[in-house]
Amino acid sequence: MSETSPSNNRVRNRRYERPRRVVSWIGVLLGASIGIAGGLLLAWSQPVQEYDTAPWQLDADDRAAYVVAIALRYNQDGDVGGAVQQLIDLRLPGDPIEQMAAIACQLATTGYVDNASGLRAVRAMMRFYQAQGRSGCADQVIAADDPAATAFVDIQAPTSTPTLPPPDTKTPTPDGGVGGTPTPNILIIPTSPPQTDFTFVNAATFCDSTRSGLIEVYVYEVNGATGVPGQAVRARWDGGESTFFTGLKPERGTAYADFQMSENLSYILDMPGRADPLAQPLVAVTCTTPEGQRAVIGYRVTFRALE
Amino acid sequence: MKRFLLSLLAALVIGLVIGLYLGWVPFPVQYVDSPARDLAQRYKDEYTVMIAAGYQADLDLTGAVERLRVLGVENVAQHVQEVAERYITTSRDVAEIQLLVVLAEGMGRLTPMMEPFRPVTLPGQGS
Repeated sequence: MSETSPSNNRVRNRRYERPRRVVSWIGVLLGASIGIAGGLLLAWSQPVQEYDTAPWQLDADDRAAYVVAIALRYNQDGDVGGAVQQLIDLRLPGDPIEQMAAIACQLATTGYVDNASGLRAVRAMMRFYQAQGRSGCADQVIAADDPAATAFVDIQAPTSTPTLPPPDTKTPTPDGGVGGTPTPNILIIPTSPPQTDFTFVNAATFCDSTRSGLIEVYVYEVNGATGVPGQAVRARWDGGESTFFTGLKPERGTAYADFQMSENLSYILDMPGRADPLAQPLVAVTCTTPEGQRAVIGYRVTFRALE
Repeated sequence: MKRFLLSLLAALVIGLVIGLYLGWVPFPVQYVDSPARDLAQRYKDEYTVMIAAGYQADLDLTGAVERLRVLGVENVAQHVQEVAERYITTSRDVAEIQLLVVLAEGMGRLTPMMEPFRPVTLPGQGS
C-alpha cells in the first residue's frame, strides 16, 4: 500500500492541468536543423548546369584570352578606364596591370607568339601596360613596336645561286657586262607580314656531347638542296635574342648556321621578316648520349624557300 | 511522441526548403576554372565585341577567328552574325554594332539588317 501525500497529488494534478503545447520545440529544432543541412547539401552537391559564368571564374588559359581581348579593345578605342575596370572585374591577384604584364610575359615565351596574330596581341598588351608604367619580360623577348607592314628596309642579299666567273675569252667583255661573281642585289623586303619567303620544314633533335645544346639551322632554296647563304636567323629567349647567319661556316655548307643554347632555356626561332617563328619553342633540356654521357639536347631545323 | 514526430517532420520539410533556397539563391556554388564556353551570354557578347575591336584595328581575320574559338561555338562566323544581329535588334551601342558588323562582313556574313551599320567612306575620305 502506498500512501500519497496531498502535496504530491497537487503537483501531479498541476502537470496535467497545464495546457498542452501544439508543437514540440525539440522536434522543431531537430527537424529544422536536419532539414536545412539536408537542403544545403542537396543544393550544393547535386550536379547542376553551370550558367552565368563570369570572366573571373574562367580557367587560367581562357582568362589570359580575355586579357588579350581587353588589350586589343584598348588598342582600338584607347579607353584606359574601361580596360582597367575589366581587368579589375577579372579579379586577378595583386595589381591587375602587372598581371597583364605577367600574362604577356608568359605568352611571349611560349608558342603563342609564333604567328603574326599572337605577336600582335602581345604587343597590344605591352602597349597597354607600358603606357601605365609597368614592365614585363615580354619587353625583352619581343619588340614593342609592330613594324608596319609598309615599312621597308634595304638589305644587301647575295644572288641566290652564285655562279663561278666565266673563263677568260680572247675577246674580253667590256667592264660592266654580265659578271660571274655574286652580284649583290638590292632587295626591298617588308619587315612585317607577309613573312612567307621561307617556310619551316622540320625540326629534329639529337643528343651529342660534342654538339651539346646546339641549334643547327639549314636554309635551302625551293628545291630543298641548294643552300642559301647570308640568311639571318633569330633565336629569342626570355631576356635576350641573337641573330646569326647562314654560310658563315663554309665547311658545313652554305645552308648552315648554328646557335649555342643555354641549359633549361626556351628559344623561339624564326627568320626575321622572312619566315614565321616555329610553332613550338626549342627547349634546352638535358639528355643522355648513346655513350651514356650527359649533354643538352640539340635541334636541327630546316627552312626552305617558297616559290 | 506523436506531437514530437509531427513537429520534427514539419520542421524537416520547412528546413529542407530553406536549405535549398539558401544553397541556390543567396549562396550558390560558384565555380572557378571554368572554360570560356560556359561564360554567361552577356560576357560572350562582350568578348566578341572586344575581338571585333581588335579586328577593326588590325584586320587580322585569322587571329579574330582563333580568339573566338575559345568560346566553344561551333560556327564562329554564325556566332558573330548572331551577336551583331542581336545587338542591332536590342538597340545596343552603335559603335559596338559597327565593330561587330565589320567583323561579320569580314567573315562574309553581312546581312541586310547590318547594311545601315557598315562603315562608309565619304567622298574625299580614304583612297
